Amino acid sequence: MARAAKKKKTTSLIALSATNKAYEFKKPLEKKIKYQGEVVEIKLHEDSKGFSYIVWKKKKYLLDVIEKKQNRYTIMINGVWHSFTVETPISLKRKRYLEQQNNSSSSVSIEAPMPGKIIDIMVEEGGEVKEGEPIIILEAMKMQNEITSHVTGIIHAISVKKNDSVMKDDVLIEIKRA
Amino acid sequence: MKIKSILIANRGEIAIRIIKTAKKMGIRSYVIKTAKEPGAWYLEEADEIIDFSEKFDETIPEFLDIERIIKSAKKHKVDAIHPGYGFLAENPGFAKRCEEEKIAFIGPSHDAIYRMGHKTIAKELARESNVPLLGGSPGAVADAEEARKFANEIGYPVILKAAAGGGGRGMRVVEKEKDIERMFNLATNEAEKAFNNPDVFLERFVREPRHIEFQILGDQHGNVVHLGERECSIQRKHQKLLEESPSPALDKALRKTMGDAAINIAKSVNYYSAGTVEFLLDKDNSFSFMEMNTRIQVEHPVTEKVTGIDLIEQMIRIAEGEKLAFTQKDIKLNGWAIEWRINAEDVQSGFSPSLGTIEKISWSENEHIRVDTGVRDGSVITPYYDSMIAKLIVHAETREKALQQSSLAIKKFWIKGTKTTLAFCRAVLQNRNFRKGNFNTSFLSKELKLHYHQEPDEALLAAFFATYDYAREINENEEKPLHTKNGNMITPWVLNKRLR
Repeated sequence: MARAAKKKKTTSLIALSATNKAYEFKKPLEKKIKYQGEVVEIKLHEDSKGFSYIVWKKKKYLLDVIEKKQNRYTIMINGVWHSFTVETPISLKRKRYLEQQNNSSSSVSIEAPMPGKIIDIMVEEGGEVKEGEPIIILEAMKMQNEITSHVTGIIHAISVKKNDSVMKDDVLIEIKRA
Repeated sequence: MKIKSILIANRGEIAIRIIKTAKKMGIRSYVIKTAKEPGAWYLEEADEIIDFSEKFDETIPEFLDIERIIKSAKKHKVDAIHPGYGFLAENPGFAKRCEEEKIAFIGPSHDAIYRMGHKTIAKELARESNVPLLGGSPGAVADAEEARKFANEIGYPVILKAAAGGGGRGMRVVEKEKDIERMFNLATNEAEKAFNNPDVFLERFVREPRHIEFQILGDQHGNVVHLGERECSIQRKHQKLLEESPSPALDKALRKTMGDAAINIAKSVNYYSAGTVEFLLDKDNSFSFMEMNTRIQVEHPVTEKVTGIDLIEQMIRIAEGEKLAFTQKDIKLNGWAIEWRINAEDVQSGFSPSLGTIEKISWSENEHIRVDTGVRDGSVITPYYDSMIAKLIVHAETREKALQQSSLAIKKFWIKGTKTTLAFCRAVLQNRNFRKGNFNTSFLSKELKLHYHQEPDEALLAAFFATYDYAREINENEEKPLHTKNGNMITPWVLNKRLR
């Protein structure tokens, strides 16, 4: 993990958070962050038990990579996770442009927050749904969980049926924003 | 009768907890191996393993299979069965089968389990013992229409509860009449699934009460004592997240009144073994009986820390027919204990279960800390059982010191591989009203705005690491197009994730 970076040309990279906050690092391999006007060094360590941690301004931060798929990362620091996509300045520009194009007529998909079994579907295709309304009952770990819509709109597609087993992040329902 | 061997009809941390006391008492322990967790730690701690793992089928309810467990107990000639919590712990049929087969059931009589497990009979017993109760339906509600009728009589909000239930399952609060049908269906479905019995009853719902429970111990000679209370108000959807003993809300006089009420309820069913009487405590210090749990509870360690009494040992001695070696006068509450439940849950998205492998787990040990856990490095959190990873129990002279020690212990509790409730524990510890002891069951929804705590620079550091790791991979790929050595540079757990 703490393998020394080779002197190489590195481009600037941006970590874009789920809430669209962009963190830009000019030379990420150099393990330095410009912070409040000064350059602060970052150290990466692994202890004898196999825990990885960051040392930053004399404090330890427990580090864990929960998910890593191409440029999508979920990093856990001190037990709190943060999701990012890593972008170059060019890919970020393109992404922002595409988002603008799509935003007006977009459909939103409701995904399974955990693996489980579909107990009930409370909406029909073509029906209306309001933000916060329950749309599906998913049983997981012996609990019945109401999955609610986080948008108001029209049910565009239902991709599961009663008694289906679903994995985490499976698309359950697509809703066209009203 | 001296018990020389025990079959533990349970798994995880509670199996290990029971084995620990069995070892101390020189008792041989037997556990059940399942195909869902063939490498679980509790199997190694026991003296003998009974193998139920011949076939993998997620619908096989190993720890609920009464006849198979009884048969195995007889085959191995074990003297007693300890059910732990959950599974068959509160199944009167199981306790009865043990009795018929002359196997000591380490718990109360099947009659006590039946009567306390049947919520409407339990309420009747409380009424006869002059213990205050909430209004509601006298028995199970037949359908949504009848639920609507009762609710309109006593007024909203109301709560629907599984008659055979506990632990928050089959339970729904109904705020408005328009929701009653939907909630009735949810509650009955869940009750049917969880307890094989769809019956639900209806009660007045007390807004923002405290949840206070009393630990009871009784022997088979009519002696019953209480071991003080546990404060369990910090809950999410009726599932406890942390517990403490004593409660900041009780003084000596209230403790005596509620403790006496708990003893009276226990005596109404000639209760023996360990049990817990649960109350709701309103803001004016009036209290009402909720239910009695006729088993050892998850949160029993806080009581053990403040009383110095090993509850599992007491349960075994009581099952042997011994008399309690102490009276109420001898029970002294010493200091303050808090139990933090560390679950594999994602506190950043509504406490949803977070499955995976515990790659590493470690904590610092000292005289204030006890950790009860069923996992170690490499253990898998499966979807088949609950999401508990560990219970961190902290004991100190005062509540303030216990909170201080908790902060240190939580900071040093490191788990790698899964999302956990540790960040939630930190958020609770930061909360001023919690620190002051001023909270109730609405704490999570009203008081704790964010269910996790993070330090200011943590997001920045996470962002840095994402770009660093990405840049490093690009660099390596450019240098070595065959990526032959890539696998050597990453730890196996990262590789494992990529292969999935």
